[in-house]
Amino acid sequence: MALAHAHKTPQNPARVVVLGAGGFLGRRLVQAATAAGTTAVGIGQRDIDLTDDSAGKRLAERLRPKDVLVFLAALTPDKGRDSGTLMRNLAMARAVCEATRAVEVAHLVYASSDAVYSFVTGLISEETPAAPADLYGAMHRSRELILAAETKAPTAILRITGVYGGGDTHNSYGPNRFLRQALKDGRIPLFGGGEETRDHVYVDDAVALTLAVIAHRSTGLLNVATGKSATFRAVAETVAAGIGQPVTIEPSARQNPVTHRHFDITNLLRAFPNVRFMPLADGVAAALAGMKAKADG
Amino acid sequence: MKPVVGFAGMTHLGLVSAAAVAGRGFEVVCFDADGALIERLGRQDWPVLEPGLGELIGRNGARHRFTGAGRDLGACDVVYVAPDVPTDDQGQSDVSGLTVLIREIAAAMNPAAVMVVLSQVPPGYTRALGVLPPGRLYYQVETLVFGQAVERATKPERYIVGCADPAAPLDPRFRAVLDAFGCPVLPMRYESAELAKISINCCLVASVTVANTLAELCEKIGADWSEIAPALRLDRRIGPHAYLAPGLGIAGGNLERDLATVERLAQAHGTEAGLIAAALRNSRYRQAWVLRQLNARVLAKVKAPVVAVLGVTYKENTHSVRNSPAVALIKELAGCDLRAFDPAVRPSGQWHSRMTVADDALACCQGADVLAVMTPWPQFRALAPAEIARRLRGRVVVDPFSVLDRAAAAAAGLDHVVLGAPPRA
Repeated sequence: MALAHAHKTPQNPARVVVLGAGGFLGRRLVQAATAAGTTAVGIGQRDIDLTDDSAGKRLAERLRPKDVLVFLAALTPDKGRDSGTLMRNLAMARAVCEATRAVEVAHLVYASSDAVYSFVTGLISEETPAAPADLYGAMHRSRELILAAETKAPTAILRITGVYGGGDTHNSYGPNRFLRQALKDGRIPLFGGGEETRDHVYVDDAVALTLAVIAHRSTGLLNVATGKSATFRAVAETVAAGIGQPVTIEPSARQNPVTHRHFDITNLLRAFPNVRFMPLADGVAAALAGMKAKADG
Repeated sequence: MKPVVGFAGMTHLGLVSAAAVAGRGFEVVCFDADGALIERLGRQDWPVLEPGLGELIGRNGARHRFTGAGRDLGACDVVYVAPDVPTDDQGQSDVSGLTVLIREIAAAMNPAAVMVVLSQVPPGYTRALGVLPPGRLYYQVETLVFGQAVERATKPERYIVGCADPAAPLDPRFRAVLDAFGCPVLPMRYESAELAKISINCCLVASVTVANTLAELCEKIGADWSEIAPALRLDRRIGPHAYLAPGLGIAGGNLERDLATVERLAQAHGTEAGLIAAALRNSRYRQAWVLRQLNARVLAKVKAPVVAVLGVTYKENTHSVRNSPAVALIKELAGCDLRAFDPAVRPSGQWHSRMTVADDALACCQGADVLAVMTPWPQFRALAPAEIARRLRGRVVVDPFSVLDRAAAAAAGLDHVVLGAPPRA
């Protein structure tokens, strides 16, 4: 179940094709792959609408044998949480399968999500049964199963937890939203006292791990998380400390029970013993710098 | 007149058990079909590392005889069968070799003699054998512990004996052997005895899992498990000898086999056995404790790190590297340069392509960024932390079993990381 490396020593692939290249992670992945000397082709929604019936055929026309295909494209919950969004997301997986049946890529990397897990007691590892609590999680789990059933490409599934950093196009509860709120209003509203714990991965770390998986042509399942969860309160305090101006952290009456999420990243360490993650304070500072640079630009 | 006792299968278990019986004044015939092994044993070249074994066999003198001829067992009144039962990666026992041996021995035995199966077998095995009349076939639970096998075999806590009918008296010759050890004898039906062995191991696993679970919490909240464990041992419901030392998961193979057996039986019979799955999960998690410590403290911070590993056997006083956390760690440290040393086993180059085997423990530490003390060999306890500190390039010593003196390690400026203890301020 855990990750296995086809290449013990990392090797640059012939070419990397990134689906979802217009998104937060996709843009950074194309940049990083290019910077590492790999030919990277970004495909965004404007190039191919993967929900379209002809998408599989069109994608196949863009692929070459020996390509590494990274499947990041997804309609995230901010685009919709309904069954229609679910079905469009599943159509994308079908298109990818159709394309990889037509063109035998060397490696397929699918960016899934930790939303496939429920809020279980204890540590989450790759052995934790997937039990999605919403359609977004069900979508990722279904896509994993679709890929397993309908493509023969050697596949790595990366279940990525909350990613943050400058250039994040989403506004989900966590470091990026806190940064925006702190910069704009000087206040960070919390759900309850912000007691929940979550794992936050800096975008460049997620990109670096994806590239490592590509370079080792790894197959199997891997959770992408730092193994160090923090409360939202701690994240808010880190943001407040890093922002250099007065920020008020505002608790609210708790509406929902407190949930925690901690990862056992043993399999990640086994796959990449020297892996390093940006500490939260440094990541927040980098994300802040990215936001300011964008605002200035 | 004392009965003559035979042992078939000169395994770790067979060798030690025979030595203990001969030590009680019985004439013992030790058979193994492996002629080279018998020849080696005749030279007193013991194939296992077990404190006190050579001395015990030496004291037994002429009472203790090795033979490669199965017919020699024909002179015995009681014949123990004690070969190892191999297991696969899933902990599934392969009893086919044992069954073949039992049939051969049954044919070679004196028609009046009794057979005692000493090998670990799954519940239901002994009754299904059907090779001897019920009154001549017994199953006896062994509780061999590598490194303490002689002590445990010569001073057993009790004997658990599986019988076809526990209400029938034990064969007097077999009873005489057991009574010579002066401990309680518990006859029970075959199936109970077979499951008793597994039950013992499950209790040990449960204790260790509790210790591991709470020791990890200690590391996070400022408590120290080494302060808590003595308090538990003084609780009569837990006991002074409870398995409360935190460790690096279950190793060695036997406990894993028994857990796998319970899981299989529970699945087949529809009983709840979530505890077993939890223990196995905790074990797998604990096995990587050192890897997690190394990553957090050194590997994620130092470029091209050199890691020194002291000890590769799965525990001290054994040659066994089966399921050894040290070997697993070495294999996982791809991308690092390694140095390794073990007092009993030469680390294999097949485990890691960039590993240097050191001649002694201190040489192993020379120039390393971090030291991992993976086996609590007594020799390592004698190492002076100051000498280690002088040779290491880095300051971190990951010492799960607290082999080094904690105060001396701190005084030497080492960042000494042990199981169940909070980081030093």
